Order: sequence, then structure tokens, then C-alpha cells
Amino acid sequence: MANVLIKYWQLSFVAIVIILSVALIGVYGIKLGMDFKGGTLYQVELQNPVTSEEITRISNIIAQRIDPTGLKDATVYPVGTQFIVVQLSETDPVELEKVESRIRQQGRFESTLDGNVIFTGDEIKKVQRSDNSFGVFKAGTSAYEWSLPFVLSEKAARNFMESTFHKCNATGTSTNGLPTYTCEKTIFFLDKPKALIVTTVEQEETDTLLLSEGNKFENIPQDTQLDELILDSMLTVLTVDNNKGLDKIAAAKVLSTTKNAVVSPSVSDSVKSDLNALGFTVIVTQGKKDLPWIWTALGAKQIISLTEGITNEDIPEGQMDRAKIFSTLRITGQRPTLEEARSDLEELAILLESGSLPTPVKTISKETISPSLGDSFLSNVILMALLAGIIVSGIVVIRYKSLKLAIPILITGASEIIIMMGFLALIQRPLDLAAFAGLIAAIGTGVDSEIVIADEIMGKSKTAHESLLQRAKSALFIIGTSAFTMIGVMGPIVLFSRNLPGLDKLYGFAVVAIVGALIGIIITRPAFTKIVEMIVHGKEKEEHRE
Amino acid sequence: MQDFYKNDFKRMMIIPTIIMLILILYVFVLPVVLPTVFPGIKPGVDLTGGNVLIFRSDKEITEAQLVSALSEFNLPELKPSIIASPTGYGAWVQYGKDPKVTAVEQLLAKANTALETSDKDSIAFSNEVFTELGKPTQTFDNAKTALLAAQQALADYKEEFSKKLQDTLTQKLSLGSNVEFQKREVSATLGSASFSSSIFISILGAIMVTIVVFIAFRQLIPSAAIIQAMIFDVIAGLAGMVFLQIPLSLTTLPALLMLIGYSVDTDIMLTSRMLKGKDGTPGERATSSMKTGITMTGTALGALTAMIIVSYFYQIDVIYQISVILFFGLIGDMISTWFMNAPILLWWVEKREKEHKKY
Repeated sequence: MANVLIKYWQLSFVAIVIILSVALIGVYGIKLGMDFKGGTLYQVELQNPVTSEEITRISNIIAQRIDPTGLKDATVYPVGTQFIVVQLSETDPVELEKVESRIRQQGRFESTLDGNVIFTGDEIKKVQRSDNSFGVFKAGTSAYEWSLPFVLSEKAARNFMESTFHKCNATGTSTNGLPTYTCEKTIFFLDKPKALIVTTVEQEETDTLLLSEGNKFENIPQDTQLDELILDSMLTVLTVDNNKGLDKIAAAKVLSTTKNAVVSPSVSDSVKSDLNALGFTVIVTQGKKDLPWIWTALGAKQIISLTEGITNEDIPEGQMDRAKIFSTLRITGQRPTLEEARSDLEELAILLESGSLPTPVKTISKETISPSLGDSFLSNVILMALLAGIIVSGIVVIRYKSLKLAIPILITGASEIIIMMGFLALIQRPLDLAAFAGLIAAIGTGVDSEIVIADEIMGKSKTAHESLLQRAKSALFIIGTSAFTMIGVMGPIVLFSRNLPGLDKLYGFAVVAIVGALIGIIITRPAFTKIVEMIVHGKEKEEHRE
Repeated sequence: MQDFYKNDFKRMMIIPTIIMLILILYVFVLPVVLPTVFPGIKPGVDLTGGNVLIFRSDKEITEAQLVSALSEFNLPELKPSIIASPTGYGAWVQYGKDPKVTAVEQLLAKANTALETSDKDSIAFSNEVFTELGKPTQTFDNAKTALLAAQQALADYKEEFSKKLQDTLTQKLSLGSNVEFQKREVSATLGSASFSSSIFISILGAIMVTIVVFIAFRQLIPSAAIIQAMIFDVIAGLAGMVFLQIPLSLTTLPALLMLIGYSVDTDIMLTSRMLKGKDGTPGERATSSMKTGITMTGTALGALTAMIIVSYFYQIDVIYQISVILFFGLIGDMISTWFMNAPILLWWVEKREKEHKKY
């Protein structure tokens, strides 16, 4: 048995690959592209071309904004230096409006101090990336300091001055005779919910502990106080003992300002139904691992200490009119490694750049495909494949007067389709119209090649001046060259389409065509050659017997 | 063995030459001279920029009805077309960019630049946007908020316009409540950038094929003959597009590229047999190649016919367009391969054999 498998190794090879492909399809499934499933495609055009680093950055910002949890099945990628493509399976116009506004604007950013907003994202004119003071600097033997200068609007700068006046306290004198201070901290929020916050006693205990421990990755300094966080959020937070139930009077007071209640997962169902009964819409927010729940629920992002330089400590109390208004502010922070410092700087810069993208958006083009147009499409495609298969076999039968040849051609075609699907499942590439066109290209070349092989090997058996082996070789030369011309045409597309605007749709087409050509030369056509050889051998043996 | 090329085969080359000239005139020259009679290649929306609205209907729609239903909108560069098939009707409404949208985009750009210099100016531009869109202006004290509101206003305006267009069409043409609309919008910059990218990539592809062919056969004349066939086939495909007014777009471009790949298959097979084959006279080898080649092209044409019929029936425009282009291209391939490429090769092979015989 093993001998047979090895002798006909081309066939065994194909069989193995087919089984593998079917398994891959089973495991990973075939993703149906937008053309089949319906969806929306946005092409975002930036005001001016940017560098490739910048466009990747903007692309990531957009991806984060529209789908922070990764649930929406959205794909975002840059094309060239001026365009970004966003593809979603969403078709509901209401949802889409939200997505579109998110592309243009990050959520609401607020900086608060002592229970007051000192500036919002709209009031940040720009982050001064090109300024000399922007960047990471070495600050000692194992410390790197990052520095982020940004500009506030005139009105916000004035407001800032007034809110931060004398918010530092002198704590003594340092070694070189200058006074040292501890300063108050401002908290940065992004999309702080407008809601009643409900947490449990247990959750509050955990949170208090986590907050005072601090968290380097999330920029929560040590000894952060829960009360300070709640004060700055300017929201009502109710701590509930699940056994005792909800303080309905306190909750009802908040109803006049908002009907939403953001609730910790640890809150009991009876409390939740109490809230519903009062008229609240209950939103259960999941926390993030190892982070205080309240931090995530409030949308807190950073806690930044003020510095004495900007709080006008040198101006005497009561003479605020003489205070300096700083419109350019600088945030600094320290990290032990260069990488961490850079990443902190970048995250904070992106956070502050809320309100608009680093490079403004010129237009957003939209394309919608409704899902129902997609459904019938799939069944029609299958119909086409069947019909085409019948016609092709018909022609083959007429030409070679043998059904024995038509069947291998069909089987080879079918195997190429299955293997290609397996490949698509493996790389999780969606099947769309472009991929389908690529498949046509690959199979078309395949059938052509098989006819060439059949003719080379079979057609000349009567006037054989060359041996079977030589004929197989010349067939291989022909189909090899054909396959390489197909790769040659499609190659540039694969290489360049990501950088050239508009061609991103062709990418899928080209990849499938090339992979199809390769599957053909490496896997399926050698097997077909073997089968034809077997058929010819069989015939020749018959003829010798006669 | 039979020899199709027994007689004066050189005269055969006249046929493809004449056809090539006619096609070039039809596709490239006459449209420049007489654009109204010879529309030439129709560029698709994704290469020019603009909007397309596609919908289906069970009822018959005539172009006249469609145009009159759209009359109140004054759509710029309106190009309506009707799709009719045994399973239903539909329409393809292509129109250019709303000049108001272009004007507003320019205002938004100005407002954005003004953010750096003067808040007041920026707010003024943003307010102009509202006026242009027929909405009331608002007082803003923050330039960025003003800009965002203006951008939102533009997005709202586009959505409202789109909805109004769809509602009017549904009502005036009695399309029923289940009608599905498909909408595409491409900016003009993206369009022209896509167009240049497409040309670039096509030329690159053609060069790659030339290189592969040359490496395979290493002789100038035979390779040149194959390239000639490739060019002929692409022009044949283009002629089909012009004849049926199939737009050249990012969906039909793959068809032309596929054509380049497919068409050379028959020529490669012919050249390989002619140059490397050992049995029979060159003419006989050419004839047997022709039998193989016609089977190859025949199966392709057969499969394409199946695709054309089904996609026409079920109104799958993209597949219909690609299949038609390939169909025309492959018919062209039969002419260019067997009436031009083969004679050239025969000529060349015979010349080579004569030179060998001298020694």
C-alpha cells in the first residue's frame, strides 16, 4: 500500500492538501466579505499627504475610536499617504452616523481639578509636536523624562490660570536652597459618562486599595485617593451594600440630571431592578483586569500633578490680576526606560489631540452594500459555477471523445477551489467579489493548462518521437510559463496596492490569483499530469495487447 | 498531419492588422474626433469621483421615467442607465459631486487653517458653512467646537440629500417599501489618484509579462509576437467595453489584467511547440497547436457564456462586466494568435531553417 502512495506521490500530495484544506475550513470558517454580507466602507481623505508613520498613527487612532473593544468587526488601514479605509459590517444608518462622527472626533476630553473642569479637548489648540521641548530626554542615570507641550485657547488659558492659582503648597527647601512644593493634581477624563455611578461596598474596598497602590501602566500615582477621584468626576457615586439594597431617595435625586446609571458587575440583580423601577437605564460596565473598577467606569485616563511654575506661587494671594496666563502648558513625567517614556508620551499626546485628528479630514466617502443583495449573490455564484462546469466538460468530451479525461479536469478544478478556500480560511481573508474574480483567473488558467497537458501527452501518442517523460516536461514548461505570466501581471498589484490609493480592492483579487497559480503549479497540475500519464499508459497497454 | 498554413500564410496577417487598426480607431481615435457618435471608454465613478445610486425593482422603469423622477434635484453630470433582465429591473444613477458640497469643503478647509491664526475668523468660516447649507448660524465661543459642528452639518446634509433622493425615487417610481438601495460615493481626488495608480500598475504588469516571456524563449521575434497578441487582446477587450459602454473602473480593471494573463497562454503554447517541437513540419506543428488552442479558448468562452447568461439574468453587474470583457478579449485572442502570431513564427522558423541549411 505504501508503495502505491509513494509511486503516485503527486496524487497523495493533492489528497493530503485537500483534506488539510477542508479541515482548515472547518476550523476557521470562511469569512464572507462585504459583497456577500453587506456592510459599509468609508474612505477617509486627509487634508494633506502625511508621512507613513503619521498615517499609521492616525489609522490606529481611528481604529481605537470607532471600535475600542474590537467587537464591531471593523477593519481600518491606511492607503498611500493620504487615505484611510474603514470597513464595517454595519449598515444601520443611525449606528453609522455615530461611527462617522467618531472618525472625525474622539470623545469628550476633560481636565478637572477640585471638582471643576479646567479645560476640555475642544480648548486645546494643538499639541506642539514640532517644538524643541517635545520628546523624551535623559534625566539622570536610569530615568527618562518625557515632555509634552500643548497650547490652550485664550479663554481656556485664562480659566486655567484662575483655577490653578496657588494650588501648590510649599513643603520646605531643597538642597540648593529653592523651595519645594507639593501640588494638587488634575485628572484627565475621556468620555466621562453622564450618569449615576453605582458600586458595591466590596468593589469600593478593592478600588481604594488599588488606587492607593497606584498603577504605573495606567498612570495612577501611588496614594491616589478615591474621594479625590470622585470629587473631580463631579458625578454622584452610590455605594451599595447588596444585602441592604439601594438608597432609593439618594438615587432619585439624580434622576433630574440624568436617566443613566452606570453599574458595577458586582451589583446585585435586585438593586438593578430597583434602579429600573425608578426610571434609570442600567448600563453594566465591565472593569479592566487589575484596575480599579471606578477608574474605568468614570473614563479616567491620567492623573497629572501641577507644577509650581504654572500655579503662580510667586504672585501674592489676592493679586490674581497680576498672575501670568500661560497658554502653552507642558506636562512631564518620568519612566525608567526610553521605551516606556516614549509610549507614555505618545499615549498622552493622542489623548490631548482629541477634538480632531492630527491632520484634518478633508472628505469621507461612503459606500454601502445592503446585506440582502448579498444573500442571493452567493446562490447565483454557485449556479454559475455548476453551469460553467457542465459546459467545460461538454467541450472536453467532444474534443477528446473520452469521458475519462473530462472527469480529472473537473476534479482538478474543484480541488483548486477547495484548496484556495482552505488557504483563505487560514489567513482569515474574507471572500469577496475581488477574491472571487481572482479565483476565476486562477481556475481559468488551470483549465487551459490541463488541456495543454492532455494534448502534449495524449495527443501525440501516435506519432511519438519523444518519450512520455519528455512530453510531460514540455507540457510543464508551457504551463509553468503561463503561471509565471499570471504571477507577473498580478505581482505589481500585490506589491504596490497598499500604497497606491484606490487599489486596495484589487489586492484581494491579485493575492487569490497568484496563490491560485502557485497551488496549480505546485500541487494540482502535477497530479493531473500523473493522471493523464496513467490514462495514456493504460491505452498504450491496451493497444499493445491487440 | 494537417497543415492549415500550407498555403501562403503570410497573407493571413492582413486580417488581424486591419482589425487592429479598426479597433484602435474605434476605441481611441474616433472618440476624440467625434465624441457624440463614438463615446469611447467610459470611466467609472471610482476613477472620476462622483456618486452612484443603484436599486432594483419588479416594475419596469424607463429611462424617461427615471430622468423625470430626478428632475427636481438638478443632479450635475447625471448619467442614468436602466438595467433590464428577465428577473427584474433596476437602475444605475450616476451623478457628479454636488457643487454645494465642494464649496462647503473649501470653507471647512479655510476654517481649519484659521484655527491656528484667528479663532474669530475660523468661527466665521464655520458659520458660513451653515449659511451655505441653508441652516441657521449659531454663536460659538470655541473655534474647534464650531468646526466640528460645521463638519457634522455637512455630513447631515449629505445624508438628508441621499435620503430625499431615495424617497423621491421610491415614491415617483412606485418602487414599494422593500426596495434596497446601494450607494457609492468617491471623492474626485481619490478618483484621479486611483486612475493614475491603475495605469501605473497595468503598465508594470505588462512589462513583467514581457520579461517572463523573454526569459522563457530568449528570442526577440517570437517574444515580440506574443506581446503583439497581448496588446491586440487587450484592445479587443476595450473595444467590447466601448461597444457595450461598460465603464472602466476598479472592478473591470481586473478583467483587463486577467486578459493579459489568459491570452498569452495560447501564444506560449504555440511558441513552445513551434520552437521546441520536433515532429512534423512547422506548419503541421502550428496546426496541431491551433487545435489545442481552440479547445483552450473554447472552454474559456463556454464558461464565460455560462457566467454572462446567469449574471445577466440575475443582474450581477460586476460579474457580467468582467465576463463580457474577457469574452471579447478571447475572441480577439483567437484572431491574434492564429492569424498573426502563428504566421510570424512560421516565417521566422522557416527563415532559421533555411539559414541552417546553408551550412
